[in-house]
Amino acid sequence: MIEPGLDRRVDELRQQLRALGYLDAGVNRFVLGPATDTRPPFAIALLASFRVGCLAALLLGPAAAIGLNSRLPGLVTGPRDAIVVAIYLGLLLGSAVSVVAFLASLLVASLAGEGIARRARPWSRVAGAVVAVACLVYLTLWWRSANAGFGWAAPIWTAFALAVAVAISLLLGHVVTVAAFAVILARRGNGELHGAAPRFTSSSSSWKMTLAAALVAFAGAAAVLIVTAPRDPGRAAHVPLAVVSSGLRIRLIAIDGVDPGVLEELASTGRIPRLAAALTGTRAPLGLQDTDTTRDPARGWTTIATGRTPEDHGVGGLETRRVAGIQGSVVAGERSPLGHAIRTATDLLRLTRPAIASGNERRVKTMWDVASDAGLRTAVVNWWATWPAPFNSESGIVVSDRATLRLERGGALDAEIAPASLYEPLRARWPAIRNDAAARGRAAAASLAWGDSDTRTTLERSAELDAIQLALTREVSTSLPDLSAVYLPGLDIAQNTLLGRRDAALAPSVVAARLQALRDYYIFLDRLLADVLSPAADELIVVVTEPGRVTAAADGLMGVMGRSAAPKREAAGRVTDVAPTVLHALGVPISRELAGAPLTALFDDGFARRYPVRQMETYGRPSTNRSARSGQPLDQEMIDRLRSLGYVK
Amino acid sequence: MIAVPAFFTEYQTLVNAELDRLVAGDGTPVWRSMAYTVHAPSKRVRPVLTLLAAELCGGVPARAVPVAAVMELVHASSLILDDLPSMDDAPLRRGRTSNHLEFGEAIAILAAFGLLNLAYGTLARAYDAALAARLSSLVADAVGTDGLIGGQAVDLLATDQEISFETLERIHRGKTGALFSAAATSGAIIAGAPADALGSLAAYAKNLGLAFQIIDDVLDVEGDPAETGKAVREDAKKTTFVSFSGVDGARQLALELCQTADRALEPFGRRADRLRDLSKFVAGRSW
Repeated sequence: MIEPGLDRRVDELRQQLRALGYLDAGVNRFVLGPATDTRPPFAIALLASFRVGCLAALLLGPAAAIGLNSRLPGLVTGPRDAIVVAIYLGLLLGSAVSVVAFLASLLVASLAGEGIARRARPWSRVAGAVVAVACLVYLTLWWRSANAGFGWAAPIWTAFALAVAVAISLLLGHVVTVAAFAVILARRGNGELHGAAPRFTSSSSSWKMTLAAALVAFAGAAAVLIVTAPRDPGRAAHVPLAVVSSGLRIRLIAIDGVDPGVLEELASTGRIPRLAAALTGTRAPLGLQDTDTTRDPARGWTTIATGRTPEDHGVGGLETRRVAGIQGSVVAGERSPLGHAIRTATDLLRLTRPAIASGNERRVKTMWDVASDAGLRTAVVNWWATWPAPFNSESGIVVSDRATLRLERGGALDAEIAPASLYEPLRARWPAIRNDAAARGRAAAASLAWGDSDTRTTLERSAELDAIQLALTREVSTSLPDLSAVYLPGLDIAQNTLLGRRDAALAPSVVAARLQALRDYYIFLDRLLADVLSPAADELIVVVTEPGRVTAAADGLMGVMGRSAAPKREAAGRVTDVAPTVLHALGVPISRELAGAPLTALFDDGFARRYPVRQMETYGRPSTNRSARSGQPLDQEMIDRLRSLGYVK
Repeated sequence: MIAVPAFFTEYQTLVNAELDRLVAGDGTPVWRSMAYTVHAPSKRVRPVLTLLAAELCGGVPARAVPVAAVMELVHASSLILDDLPSMDDAPLRRGRTSNHLEFGEAIAILAAFGLLNLAYGTLARAYDAALAARLSSLVADAVGTDGLIGGQAVDLLATDQEISFETLERIHRGKTGALFSAAATSGAIIAGAPADALGSLAAYAKNLGLAFQIIDDVLDVEGDPAETGKAVREDAKKTTFVSFSGVDGARQLALELCQTADRALEPFGRRADRLRDLSKFVAGRSW
């Protein structure tokens, strides 16, 4: 029986004993398991590091998957993807931690002269502390970049994330400490390791020490988060996405593959009067883009659609890679020989397979997304990286870049068209649309000199494609959208097919004939667009061109005509100016996040006076809701189609 | 009173036979002084711990007998030195007059060094060079400034002074814990045990060693000299565990330490029952 008042004293002694390493039966069996007496230090370091790596994989994989999903929104499309990504990242980070733990253990052990070996504990703690701090800084910065600007705006969630990072870091630091200690003493070659090892466990399992270390680590992580938080001194008060309606409806026609030189030449001879009116009147040369962007239509046209740089919008290229086991995709990466070699290797190993850029990779809103959010009616047809079509009650009409494939093949939708209710009517009208488009192509071929049969076939195919897109635009624009946008690929496809890279050089006479045939395609386009380039009273026509894949090193153009367009005037612009210019014309405030700005010089003075540019902070992130996806994905069909059109090698 | 576990006799016999062989001597005063302390009635807890650890880890106990005997030689050496007038000046040890009172201080000091020397020599002769080197290093650390010598030095400097709980633990860790840990670890090393097993045994020995010392402090207050074999209230001028927690509190802490020691053996399952019996004995011993 303990005398009264003694309980408290005994309890204090109990706590002191715990702090001194007693009353704790725990040992680092997990890490020290491989450290048998017969094994050399190198083997112990290797095996212990492997176990540390396993632990790290278990802890860091899921944490990193959460972060990666924020950075690459197209990668994870569901729980299954999340698990697979966590496994991949677990393997990757586990391997990395194994290597770090291995090197740290060996480094400390290699320094383990007699003096250091006597102080094995502090030295191994240094190794563990280095790993813990590195891990914590990495996880904190990962969190910051994954949530760019989010940070302390959501303090509870951020504090929770930091607490998880602290716990992971402390645990990894601890096991690395134990591994380094085992290696040092094994190198020293005596049995003290085993007598001393539990003192690590006990001292670090002292809840006071652990709590103190955790608090210090948490404070450090919070400090890193604050110090590295993006600065934005120009931050203005939040302005809601409110439209000050200009009464304009915008019709945006995107033509790929337009050579400004050819355009000027044909316009000056009066052979393309409608295109000349649109592109040589009030206009803005869009400046020379980097050739990667102009040669890659998905990258370039997403830049135009979003007003953001490729680094911001996330669609880095037409070709992406789908990682084995995951529905989502990732950007194919560097265009360097090394990047190509890595892609080839992972494809050969079946770890990745080619895929086509999609809206999953896009991290920001397009101009039609923003207009829809602002309550305007929108319709977009055949723009790059619009599949899978988003769907919510406020979304506009999206006939994605996979829509014609779905209409051709039939079957249930896989988010090719939104809203899904449009599919059946379009499917019913598809034979007529297609026949009409083919007839237009044939008629053009008959009335224009489209050269030999190969050239004629190529141009007829392009003509049919363009005619189909315009027909689909007409079909979905019956309710007069505030913004309609259509992408016409025909000229670029024809140009690339006839003049693109080939193994054998073409004879000069053949090149001349093909150039002439392509000139005639401009005339065909002019006729095809006759209805479209005749603006209604409340319409502003915006024509945007890019030089395409063959004549990549040339300017793009943006021409405007119709209501509120300035009289003939030329203003310098950039490709990122297209989206803000269109949004400004619609009366939508402009986000400061955009890389471009509205080209107000393209509007008449009255418009400029009545509608000054309004700005707002951000349009937010795009919706992750997708349209109906009950159908069979057309991934391979899309690749085959793009290969036949010369987009994919 | 809890009786010595039955299996003790078997191991004690093995150890005693080895000690008889090692400390046969030639009848000179130094040898007789060495044998006087070594052959005095003793529980042989440390060497038995070595043999039990070796057996638990799959080794042959007979192969661990020399190093087990070494643990007892080192312990006996430390007892002789500990009782010297310049140290604790204790009159009674293991139920007999202290060594220096029997043989004189000078011979006692020589006998203590003789036992230490014999210990290292035994390791060198009984095992191959690599193993002998590892075990020698282990014993040297247990004896050295982080072990027995260090603990005794702190103890001497603390005499007649009030010391902190941490200092007291430092003393006991050196004077008792270090050799307990070395005893358990050496047995496991002989058996070629993996690190996790060694870790478990070290945790066991560490907690058991302190429990052993706490019970020693308790017995110094309330023990029977006829049973303990040494004078009681010898440590009255020293700060002990009893000073901090009282007798009952000290027994409670010793019990908890023994329970912790038992928990460290969980990975071994029932195979470690003998070590559990040992901790039970330590917690309830009265001598």
